[in-house]
Amino acid sequence: MSTLRLRGGRIIDPANRIEEVRDLVVRDGRIISALAHEPVDEDIDVPGCVIMAGGIDMHTHIGGGKVNLARLLLPEDHRVNGNPVALPDNPLELPSCGGCTPGTLATGYRYVEMGYTAAFEPAMMACNARHTHMEMGDTPILDHGAYVMLGNDELLLQMLAEGRDFEQIRDYTAWTIHASKAMGVKVVNPGGISAFKFNQRKLDVDEAHRHWQVTPRQVVQTLARALRELGVPHPLHIHGSNLGVAGNIASTLDTIKALEGLPGHLTHVQFHAYGTEGAKKFSSAALQLAEAVNSNPNISIDVGQIMFGQTVTASGDTMRQHAQSAFANPRKWIGADIECEAGCGVVPFRYREQSYVNALQWAIGLEIFLLVDDPWRVVLTTDHPNGGPFTSYPHLIKLLMDRSFREEQLAKLHPDVAQHCALRSITRELSLSEIAIMTRAGPARLLGLADRGHLGTGAAADIAVYREHDDRERMFTTPEFVFKDGQLVARAGRITAVPVGGTHFVEPEFDRGIEKTLRKHLARHGSVNFDHIAIGHDELCSCCNGGRLLPTACLEAGA
Amino acid sequence: MSPVSTSSQPASGWTCPFCPLLCDDMRPPAAAAGGALALDGVDCPRAQAALATFAAVPVQASPQLNGKDCGLDTAIDAAARVLAASRQPLFSGLGTDVAGARALYRLACETGAICDAAQGSSLMQGVRTQQDHGGFSTTLAEVRTRADLIVFIGGLHSAIAPRLLLRCGVGDDIVATRHVVVLGGSAAEIAMLANIPGITAEALPLQGDLFETIALLGALVAGRPLREVHPGLAALAARLHAASYAVLIGATSALPPQGALVIEGLQRTVAELNRRSRAAMLWLSGGDGAGTVNQVFSWLSGLPLRSRAGPSGLEHDPLRFDGRRLLADGAMDSLLWISGFDAGQVIPETPLARIVLGHPALRIPSHSSGADTVFIPISTPGIGSAGHLFRTDGSVLLPLFAVYQDCLPAAAEVLGRITHALKALRALKAVQEGQP
Repeated sequence: MSTLRLRGGRIIDPANRIEEVRDLVVRDGRIISALAHEPVDEDIDVPGCVIMAGGIDMHTHIGGGKVNLARLLLPEDHRVNGNPVALPDNPLELPSCGGCTPGTLATGYRYVEMGYTAAFEPAMMACNARHTHMEMGDTPILDHGAYVMLGNDELLLQMLAEGRDFEQIRDYTAWTIHASKAMGVKVVNPGGISAFKFNQRKLDVDEAHRHWQVTPRQVVQTLARALRELGVPHPLHIHGSNLGVAGNIASTLDTIKALEGLPGHLTHVQFHAYGTEGAKKFSSAALQLAEAVNSNPNISIDVGQIMFGQTVTASGDTMRQHAQSAFANPRKWIGADIECEAGCGVVPFRYREQSYVNALQWAIGLEIFLLVDDPWRVVLTTDHPNGGPFTSYPHLIKLLMDRSFREEQLAKLHPDVAQHCALRSITRELSLSEIAIMTRAGPARLLGLADRGHLGTGAAADIAVYREHDDRERMFTTPEFVFKDGQLVARAGRITAVPVGGTHFVEPEFDRGIEKTLRKHLARHGSVNFDHIAIGHDELCSCCNGGRLLPTACLEAGA
Repeated sequence: MSPVSTSSQPASGWTCPFCPLLCDDMRPPAAAAGGALALDGVDCPRAQAALATFAAVPVQASPQLNGKDCGLDTAIDAAARVLAASRQPLFSGLGTDVAGARALYRLACETGAICDAAQGSSLMQGVRTQQDHGGFSTTLAEVRTRADLIVFIGGLHSAIAPRLLLRCGVGDDIVATRHVVVLGGSAAEIAMLANIPGITAEALPLQGDLFETIALLGALVAGRPLREVHPGLAALAARLHAASYAVLIGATSALPPQGALVIEGLQRTVAELNRRSRAAMLWLSGGDGAGTVNQVFSWLSGLPLRSRAGPSGLEHDPLRFDGRRLLADGAMDSLLWISGFDAGQVIPETPLARIVLGHPALRIPSHSSGADTVFIPISTPGIGSAGHLFRTDGSVLLPLFAVYQDCLPAAAEVLGRITHALKALRALKAVQEGQP
């Protein structure tokens, strides 16, 4: 047993409603309650520091097919001014490079240096699950998990079209989670990826899929209900219809209505909050969106803030990525139709301050952050790398916490946005506690991680210690100490240990009778032996490089 | 026939690791006459030829140092010494699985080795096109379920992937009317297609060479005026526009030099079609571990093969880091070659010090330079051990199952031990030289 005490830091632990200076004691990777003068093996004095639970990024494209395609598409992202990226000077790090799509090794190092200790890949294809887990397993230090994509698989659409019993679809959903060892389910452009395969170029929430005659509303409703009944803690993770389209706020509001009060998490919602007002027929609908979120407690969101500069958008939404490929910068892109269950589109993108559309997207994201009342239902993301790389989080935190800085940045943008956007009049500055909610406590709660995202007794000792500084960007860029399960993994921006992270997943119960249906369907339409699809625990462990398996308990059905 | 199973192996399953299709719909191979492995009732000459190089029971095979049997520890130590003395190693062959690639990356970082697959040139045709232009691809289940027009580029490629037609659903009844076109195919291929029920098929000869044909087809699909009339290609262009889902299938290893231009041309055609209808490409590529190692290196480092962690940093150069050319130019001073799947792989002749990890029957060309040759027989994933490989379409990573539990070590284990031994040698040297 080894014990460690962090002395004199200000603990910000919103899950336990604690914001005060007190000591924090860790024993064997867990936070314990200890008496003030109880002897410990190591004392670290941290006066002038803020202590938070380790950061949790619940929507970041860090592993799997489309991420690796993005790396392959952009060798230029893995050079610096055309030159090779220097090898690390830290013997604990293996060489790995990239700006917006770093290698998995660099991804782990850079997240941890910022105080993050867990990251979740939001778009795992069932057919690509092993690959996704492999990449996450090669992302050092961070715990990880993934949401498996459903809602564009021909089988689900066929079941809906044929009016099969809901219970069959629910069991199929559970089987897919089980087989792919997922933490939740994501739906991307519900039905739309499949519709694109049948040459449909647009699909509104109540529009029928050309082939299956099923609507996105049906898909969203069915999957949300299935997850609710299965007791999967994370609500349906929804990348809505009409991403990036002017006026898509209507689709987003329709999607919220389609949930009929069932829990739903609207992801990268900035890309789904556009109106059609003004001379350019492109306007902010952040206020409408925020009002909808404020008045629907079943809804949570992550923002998908855009950041100016070069990035790459990697998405399962082939329909929308094909449409956006005309704006690719540099002019190249990758698309794919995949296994009758999904698709992918990888489009490089450069967000420019002087572009009216990009400037407004930037403002819309910040407006959403600042207009939604309940920070527990807003997660801080850039939809890495789609809105910008995760390394820009400290800058984003400063924008949210410092109004004068925000105004300085706003003044640099396209004049029509700088002068007229609603963001100008928003005075709110987020507190450290609100940032802690949006970056760790909230995501942990939305994922059902009982022992993460907080610093209460019994919690895993994933801890970030930040030196207080008025410049919040500087403060959040380089924590003084980062601990993973009680082990010091970064000290002042330098990696000090590289343990293998664990894998979060859920295991809902279901009727195995569904396997008969799946076996029959896949024998005719699939390309992989049914018996080889499901990933067992031993195989998951080897995929994930021997990291710990971290099953998350399901809720009581329907709770 | 009595397959030997392992605890991790499903009772009836096996994944064939010997071509990029990774078929997993057959029973495990078992002992055939003569004592080698064979598949029962499966008509795949490539799998059968590969299986014939494996005994039906685990075999002992000793590592060798300069042609003489030695213990594994001795071989590991010798390999580490070769690499410790090398200023610029080449790691090639790369016939291994995900676990092997993961271990290889660490050793490559430790040594600054340039890494290139045995079939690096054909692999890079696809990689370079992707880097320059991207592209739109599809996967086997999509082709099987939805493609009503399949165009094979340059032949049916049955030598590379004998079950390709079957895996694409050619001959099954999922798609009501399926038309198959072979661009530049042989008469024998057309005759074979004529015997498949439920499809219509035609052969189109090349107009000039493949480059010219693809350019003409692209122009016709885009509706650009041409001076000459090409009725066959014009009809194909019309079919491509009219298809519900047109899939173009090629093989990178069958492309001529500068074949990346063919891929680019076809991708332009697919992009043009996708403006109004639906089309995609499927490339046969990356077999023998190459595609898998390329994926693993890409995710670990951010860069694909033909890269190194060199003195000036992480470098990738799809032309300069061509392993065969570097060997021929005398630019390397050691070679580590991995051939875990192909017993007949031809290892380039070189006077350099060599470390070879591979099938026990691998033939290592002799040399008289006096430089060391270390040979370590390794287990083949999918025969003597479990593992994972990427299928040709890159979207599906399949598990490989052991037919029996091998006596031979896995590539990952050997590479991990060489890395460990190399670090120990360097640490010892640093102590001897008084370095901190």
